[in-house]
Amino acid sequence: MRFTSRRDFLFEAGGGLSGVALAHLLAGDNLLAAPTAGQSCAGTAVASSPFAPKKPHFAPRAKRVISLFMSGGVSQMDTFDPKPALDKYAGQPMTGKGDIVVRQGHPGPLMPASFKFSRHGQSGLEISELFPNVAKHADTLAVVRSVKGRSNDHVMAHYELASGTIRMGWPSVGSWLTYGLGAENQNLPAFVVIYDARGGPFGGPANWSAGYMPAAYQGTIFHSKGDPIFDLKPPGDLTQDQMRARLGLLEKLNQMDLEKNPGNSDLAARISSYELAYRMQACAPEAVNLDSETEPTRKLYGLDNPITAPFGRQCLIARRLAERGVRFIQLYHGGIGNQNTDTWDAHGNVRENHTMHAAESDLPIAGLLTDLKKRGLLDETLVIWQSEFGRMPISQRGLGRDHNPGTMSIWMAGARIKGGQAIGASDEFGYKAEQQIVTVHDLHATILHLMGMDHTRLTYSYQGRNMRLTDVYGELIPQVTA
Amino acid sequence: MYLRATPILLAAAIAASGQSVSFSRDVKPIIENRCAKCHGASMQLGKFDMRSREAVLRGGEKGPVVVPGKPDESSLYRKVAGIEKPVMPMDGKLSAKEIEIIRGWISDGVPWEGQVTAAPSATSGLAAMEEFKVSDGARSFWSFQRPVKKTPPVTGEAEWDKHPVDAFLRQPMREKGLKVAPLAEKHVLMRRAFLDLTGLPPAPAEVREFMDDNSPDAWEKLIERLLASSHYGERWGRHWMDVARYADSNGYEHDFDRPNAWRYRDYVIRAFNADTPYDRFLEEQLAGDEMDEVTHDRLIATGFLRNYAKVGFREKDNPQYRFDYLDDMIATIGRGVLGLTVQCARCHNHKFDPVGQRDYYKLQASLYGYVEVDHPLVPEPEAKAFAAKTLDVNSRIKPLRDQVKLLDLPYEEKLLAEKYRKWPSNIQEAIFTPEEKRTPGQVLLANQIIRTTRVTPAEIEGVMTPSDLEKRRALDGQIRQIEKERPKAIPVAMGITDGDYRFAPDGAGDEPAPGKGIKQEVTEGSFLCDGSKPYTAPAAYFLHNGDMANPGSKIEPGFISVIDDGALPTTLQPGHKRTSGRRLALARWMASKSNPLPARVMVNRIWHHHFGRGIVTSLDNFGRNGDAPTHPDLLDWLAVEFVEHGWSIKHMHRVMMTSRAYRMSSGFSDEGNLRTDPENLHWWRFRPQRLEAEIVRDSILAVSGSLNKEQFGPAVFPELPKEVLASMDKGIWRQTGDGPGVWRRSVYVYRKRGLPLPFFEVFDLPDQNISCGRRTASTVPTQALTLMHNEWVLNQSRRFADRIATQAPSGVDAQVSLGYLLVLGREPSALERSEAVDFLKSRTLGDFAHVLLNLNEFIYMR
Repeated sequence: MRFTSRRDFLFEAGGGLSGVALAHLLAGDNLLAAPTAGQSCAGTAVASSPFAPKKPHFAPRAKRVISLFMSGGVSQMDTFDPKPALDKYAGQPMTGKGDIVVRQGHPGPLMPASFKFSRHGQSGLEISELFPNVAKHADTLAVVRSVKGRSNDHVMAHYELASGTIRMGWPSVGSWLTYGLGAENQNLPAFVVIYDARGGPFGGPANWSAGYMPAAYQGTIFHSKGDPIFDLKPPGDLTQDQMRARLGLLEKLNQMDLEKNPGNSDLAARISSYELAYRMQACAPEAVNLDSETEPTRKLYGLDNPITAPFGRQCLIARRLAERGVRFIQLYHGGIGNQNTDTWDAHGNVRENHTMHAAESDLPIAGLLTDLKKRGLLDETLVIWQSEFGRMPISQRGLGRDHNPGTMSIWMAGARIKGGQAIGASDEFGYKAEQQIVTVHDLHATILHLMGMDHTRLTYSYQGRNMRLTDVYGELIPQVTA
Repeated sequence: MYLRATPILLAAAIAASGQSVSFSRDVKPIIENRCAKCHGASMQLGKFDMRSREAVLRGGEKGPVVVPGKPDESSLYRKVAGIEKPVMPMDGKLSAKEIEIIRGWISDGVPWEGQVTAAPSATSGLAAMEEFKVSDGARSFWSFQRPVKKTPPVTGEAEWDKHPVDAFLRQPMREKGLKVAPLAEKHVLMRRAFLDLTGLPPAPAEVREFMDDNSPDAWEKLIERLLASSHYGERWGRHWMDVARYADSNGYEHDFDRPNAWRYRDYVIRAFNADTPYDRFLEEQLAGDEMDEVTHDRLIATGFLRNYAKVGFREKDNPQYRFDYLDDMIATIGRGVLGLTVQCARCHNHKFDPVGQRDYYKLQASLYGYVEVDHPLVPEPEAKAFAAKTLDVNSRIKPLRDQVKLLDLPYEEKLLAEKYRKWPSNIQEAIFTPEEKRTPGQVLLANQIIRTTRVTPAEIEGVMTPSDLEKRRALDGQIRQIEKERPKAIPVAMGITDGDYRFAPDGAGDEPAPGKGIKQEVTEGSFLCDGSKPYTAPAAYFLHNGDMANPGSKIEPGFISVIDDGALPTTLQPGHKRTSGRRLALARWMASKSNPLPARVMVNRIWHHHFGRGIVTSLDNFGRNGDAPTHPDLLDWLAVEFVEHGWSIKHMHRVMMTSRAYRMSSGFSDEGNLRTDPENLHWWRFRPQRLEAEIVRDSILAVSGSLNKEQFGPAVFPELPKEVLASMDKGIWRQTGDGPGVWRRSVYVYRKRGLPLPFFEVFDLPDQNISCGRRTASTVPTQALTLMHNEWVLNQSRRFADRIATQAPSGVDAQVSLGYLLVLGREPSALERSEAVDFLKSRTLGDFAHVLLNLNEFIYMR
């Protein structure tokens, strides 16, 4: 069998790997160069792969998730949860709310929002002036103002949002989805993580760990610049010709070995994995290569502005990955360098910190929503904007705000979710979730539901127990799943 | 037609009878008898209290549970009616009539009269919740029976009747009509034994030695040679470290370095090399500090209990973390040693196994007195001298520091005032308003700033008068002089002993408690007991729902009832009286004759590593939800054999590896077998195993000739790409460059919880934070990418090529032979040779060497 062109090969490969030998793959000319169109990188599954597609429990609302994680803790009363009472009681101690638990230092007096709120869209959803561009999508956003977390520690709170528990060692949402649904595209990892150029999020790689599941389900880090995956390409001193020769011999020797070990599917799978690796080598760079994006698109994501360009790149790559069938795309905005300035962790000065980070992320996020909508992808993509916890209604040293897991505001868009609604409510100051309290388990149950999975039925047997992402908890957020 | 009394019909019936729900007559008894024991005076689970209408309307930690007038929207109704989970009450559903009463009561707007008192039986109700009885049926489950050594069956096939393991395996195969694989070729067996026992491929000289040995006991001799190798402990110790969730850092946000953790790793390697009996091995790890003879190694061994991932923050301020660490210990002992998921019983009785919540808290009480401690590893007089000298230095420095403080004071005040003046006006106003005149808000604001503003010595020196500066420097000089006398740190082991954690000195990560700001100090008592009075362990309690806010009765130490015949003491206080002896008693019970589990669990682990799958597949779960043994008689035979031979692990290797079953070929196939037993559950052929991450790396290093065989000591840090380092900024990773210094065996690579080595991760390194008996082996494209493109792999492959060129300068044929010998421990076949020779006509040895490192045969043990 001989393919006349790479396109033929990829077409065949899309239909399954049987009969496709690596030697043939390598015999084609210029195979290791990037395909010209994204479509050629679509590739369906091999049944033996841990990523073989599996049927959802019921018709899904979304095929994929783009999670926009604002690391450091976004202040709800400065963004999506207006609290006029803070103006009224500014400078006074917060009373009547029980114990005041701060993370650093000592409790301060109540502090008004540093930013003005106004109503947006037909729905009149209230959003602060920090997000003028996201606000244009007000009628698309379902804001949940009553998400309650369990820890005021950055790392544990990150783990809770990632895995439902504050302890290390549990699989993340992305791992659960990959395990439950497999991959749409075998030529790319199913669960991709792109973190801030300033550094990884609090808690590092454990945020995308597969925990007790097979390691194959962990998230794969994509770099937003250069080669997206470690070791994707051979170092510069090795020529394509050399690599092709090496792979040719490897293929022959491994085939001889396979013949001596009939019925050993692991060995056959390992031979296939080299073929997959080489398709990934072509497809992953193609997925992050923004050269083919038009000027207006690049502008839409703010790539023309040094302030918005870094997160804009992450968002634009996220859209490209979404188009190519990546199941779970996890973006982090804010990374550990200098915690106070490089993340949303506004202990020192909310005004300065949030102004800076909103300016970096507002336009790219709005661009992503616009672009997904324009391409007809938004209806089948769940976009979720979240952080690890909210912040305190009282001040920290007069200008900053401390951590507060009592309530935070998150929003969801796409997946045919009714937009323009504010769900749940925190108390008058925004200290604690009060109406329709939503736990992280509830959030996870809802995400799985939108992806066509019943969170009580998606189980992984570990240590004799059928484990769930939501443990024994989790209720759907009815306004989101309606 | 028969009409069932559905709730709606019942409601209709109540409505039709004109009888509305009466709180006192109908509702109150339900609350008192069915709800109050968890939501009344003694505890309020889920922060929900049912003693007053206000409290009921307030709801629980998830908010309101009752919408007056709307039962269908009230989670209280939905939960008692079974519409919503968890169904309440937890100890049994309400009757249909009671459910209807609750519905009617909510419909009526939640009327209330008088006081709901604790049910008269509340205390006994609580006690009832704590009670746990093992039924006879539960006790008869296979794994709770003592193992019995049955006579092996006789198959009538001479080569299968020689060895008990073979006889047990062959019998069911005969019944199923399964054919058996022939013996593997000699070179295959050799490579299998090397990888299995040492984790390193055989060197050419070792290959020759074995291949040339035609004596009938050549195989036995090879096993003995490998068991005596110091690399054996590095290989099998690593298996145990997976169970012991060993790592070199704390995990969580700060991921602090554990500078002495490696001593535990070395202890494990030494213990395996010395074939420490497994019962003693357990005793050392659980209670090394309580044994009759306390050696340094035994103190180090207690690090086993301290291998949990640690959040930081002082436990005295945050005792909830301490309960999590205890849970981690119980989970590790449960899964790792007993093969029971005991940790499932933290909040309720185990759902599947006869393990009561009370059993959990008995184990917790056995461990409860533990404190983290750094055991000095020098003779006692030396340790005492060290402590005395440190105290002396500190006490001489203190008055000098006080003088410096006094000198600094006026300058400090001036500098602070300057700093305060940089704040916005409202904050300045709060600070400069006299304390008694501040508004409540200003008090908070001023407090925040004043208590957190600091002045550095450098700032002070910058504004001091020359004469004060001179005085200050003179004092500093004196301090420095005394500091020179400070004794050099002595080596210490990271372990545990008994004590009172509320007096623990601060360690890494012990910043003020979240939300407290100021450290809480207890003043009465002491951290460790000196033995002048016998140590008494602090009281441990049953925790309802696993919540430390809901303590029940005081719990005495003890064991898991279903496997405890009550014959052994639960406390064995050692002669030094510095500890309670509860852990020692626990360890003795673990390895006692009456405990059927630890021997079975351990021989099953050994079997799993040799044969690729456990007789019980779920290595860490021998309970009802675990897998049943495929060969129960064999498992029991092995377990008894293990105990009879002094819990010798090396003896078990000999037993298993000398079986015919271990020496079978993995390449054999048979259509009929594949139909009857496609998963090879009967071991009709040897199960090939993908090498673990560490062994892939070690094999590459061995083959390239780069392996630095130095053993023990502090961990090494393989070079990480800077992008990887950027993903984590806490804790340590000491880049020392790529070279022989880091080309040590992988067991010596630093285990950073927050940042696993990417090379290991790609080859399925399990999560390092939880006990893991069985690793997975996936086949994913990133493994291929790593072996094809990774700089480190390519560098090793170049070194491998150089080695071939140097050692076989005479020509292509010899080079191909040597390459195969190094990588696979065999000569190439004629076909392989001709392909290779052909390849080398146009390609380099570097190309060839790299291909060899990617061969399937290289990364499988088979």
